[in-house]
Amino acid sequence: MLQGVIGAGAAGTLLANINSTARAQDTTPIPVGSALPMSGFAAADGIEFKNGLDLAAEEINAAGGILGRPIEIHVEDTKEMGADIVSQAMQRLIDRFSTPVLMNGYNVGTNMIEMDIAADNDVIMMHYNTLISHNEKFKTDPDRYYGCFQGDPPEYWYGPGCLNFLKTLSEGDKWKAPNKKIAIIPSANEYSIVIANAIRDKATEYGFEISLFETVPFPTNQWGPTLAKLRQDPPAAIIVTHFLPQDLAQFMVQFLAQPINSLVYMQYGPSLPAFREIGGEAVNGVIYSTVVGCLPDDFSKPFREAYRAKFGPNSAYITGSQTYDGLWMWAIAAAIAGGPSEPFNKEQTQKVAAALRRNVYRGVNGTYRADPAGQSTYCYPTQVADPSLGMPHQFLQHQDYKTDPKLIAPALYATDSFVLPPWFK
Amino acid sequence: MSNQPVSRPNSPTGSAKTDLAITVVLIAIAIALPFFVDSRYVMGQIVLALFYATIASQWNLLFGFSGIFSLAQMAIFAFGGYATAMICFYFGWNVWAAVVPGAVGAMIFSLAVGLACLRLTGVYVALLTLAIAQTMYQLIVTDTECFTMVGSICRQFTGGAVGFARFGELGTRALLKGQWLVGNYAIVATLFAITMLFTYAIIKSPIGLAFRALKDNPGYAVARGVNRFQAQLLVFGISAFFTGLAGGFYAAHFQAIGPGILSMSQLMFIIAVVVVGGVGTFWGPLVGTVILVAADELMREAGEFRTFGLGIIIALSIILMPKGLVGRLGDLVRWSRKRGQAAHREKLAESPAPAGE
Repeated sequence: MLQGVIGAGAAGTLLANINSTARAQDTTPIPVGSALPMSGFAAADGIEFKNGLDLAAEEINAAGGILGRPIEIHVEDTKEMGADIVSQAMQRLIDRFSTPVLMNGYNVGTNMIEMDIAADNDVIMMHYNTLISHNEKFKTDPDRYYGCFQGDPPEYWYGPGCLNFLKTLSEGDKWKAPNKKIAIIPSANEYSIVIANAIRDKATEYGFEISLFETVPFPTNQWGPTLAKLRQDPPAAIIVTHFLPQDLAQFMVQFLAQPINSLVYMQYGPSLPAFREIGGEAVNGVIYSTVVGCLPDDFSKPFREAYRAKFGPNSAYITGSQTYDGLWMWAIAAAIAGGPSEPFNKEQTQKVAAALRRNVYRGVNGTYRADPAGQSTYCYPTQVADPSLGMPHQFLQHQDYKTDPKLIAPALYATDSFVLPPWFK
Repeated sequence: MSNQPVSRPNSPTGSAKTDLAITVVLIAIAIALPFFVDSRYVMGQIVLALFYATIASQWNLLFGFSGIFSLAQMAIFAFGGYATAMICFYFGWNVWAAVVPGAVGAMIFSLAVGLACLRLTGVYVALLTLAIAQTMYQLIVTDTECFTMVGSICRQFTGGAVGFARFGELGTRALLKGQWLVGNYAIVATLFAITMLFTYAIIKSPIGLAFRALKDNPGYAVARGVNRFQAQLLVFGISAFFTGLAGGFYAAHFQAIGPGILSMSQLMFIIAVVVVGGVGTFWGPLVGTVILVAADELMREAGEFRTFGLGIIIALSIILMPKGLVGRLGDLVRWSRKRGQAAHREKLAESPAPAGE
């Protein structure tokens, strides 16, 4: 059987072709639901996720919609998130608008209850929670959770990916590790802790030892006690798996008051403009990685330009790109399946899900291909060796806080080389 | 519930009759609701509102009727939920078998809190109970030690920042298929009804009078032989049992429980429900829940003004109706009765009975 391989640039053409052959008798809008944190501590990301959906919907509608039907975006605020609030928001979207799909960004502390809402209502649900618990829950009952997709690789892959990066870097000539110690600082949330545990559990395999493992509250900006411990026993690398940009920027400001010769690696937050805006010059040298984010390549250039033209020069396309790709993927799958379906239409929803499972899609974030074992995206290079079949785990470094960070790994995608951080003596 | 003097021994008072009439109407509404509500979302919100009303009614018993300003209410609710989830998760018990031990666990926890607060009053009780709730939250979220492996995921003893999920359910999905939410609604509505029934019985009994006496004038109450030690522990225990039971059913209904339930915003919402409805009134928590949940729904489209609008409602309620809506309604009823009686007396005075009659 043929597997569809679709690229973002080609996606519009493909959709337009499908639409031109379809006899668009029904032109009623298709409601697309999204449960996003539009207020609360994750509101900055929620707004970008909505921006990504709006831009994708505009482009899809310009290409003729899905079989002649335009898309209409409906957003429900998940505020401080959690299982109860997120499940209510999703159910409200389904009840009120009859949404055949829920295209979420991320929501924290939900215990993946989103999958139960999708299963109970027979709708497609795609999200970017970046959680291995999605895979684990899917495995418990694949028939029930057939419509649930994670548009990016689970956070688990950050662990081995980060260790592999540090090992490769230490083997090169740009950084000589003073010792084999690494300090891990998670904050009290699932995402941070799973990554921290994955690094801790695999550290010895990559030749590292853990000198400090300290969990901080979520959120937090009081780094004094943790920094005191780090200064007492300086490790080769400090790995902060907390992810809120404002807190991470504060870490750097407080760290530079009395720096030590350690690399600083952080999770997700440094990819957001707020990190640079709050930290200023203090963020230069920080390394971070993301398993999903808009690649700084020619392919994504039209998207990046359109995004900033529409939402302003400080908008974070790296976040908006996630739901942007997600909506395009779903729109194509729905067109191939012959229609988007509606709640409780299991037969049609299964057809859309089958198309989402089979299609390989090259979006602005890299390649989406669903791992059939967990219906999450494959991760390149730690999970699959072929970059055309997995989403790249990108490593970036802030080298000048006034400009965008530089992509330094994986080598196939890298635009720049690693630079020794300015605080090193 | 108004505090009208007893008119005739061994017969229902006016307020008891009113309470009975309200109860009959509420039961009729509760039975009719599933036939009129099609939306799963609305039904889900009603279930959630019933949980809020149950927690609020028990906090009202503690604060409104007994004068103990405890801020550990959500901690006790969470304890019941966590205990139920942990029993199911670690021992494989059915949720129905686990909710009562979970509630008993919450009761024991609450008794310990009650003992710690025994020598304290007023704001010091609030500070200590808040500290206990916050400690519980911190202990859970900073628990990162791997206790057991679930697939490739490391799970902490307390569930850590993630909490527990998929430990069991109430069995309504298998029994009622697509109508499972109506089944859960029936269960939670029954729980609320039983809680209200027990609360009514308690506040009408001599124990309830002892609670109120200790609230109004502790020195006088103790001098008249009310045992403060026993009464305080009793009210902590009773309110915790039902709060913990609600916690267990909450965890089972959502199939998840996490530390977010211990957040300050949840606690503040419960307090606001009681304040708006009427502190120390029997129907206050239910009325407060209906008002605040409905207002929250109506302001859903107002974006950032939604929280502001809720704040305005709470502020206006405190300024204009310090006794809450039910308290204000009670005042109105009493005022109209007095007016009616006065008018009747005036009428009698103006037209005296004819001679010879």
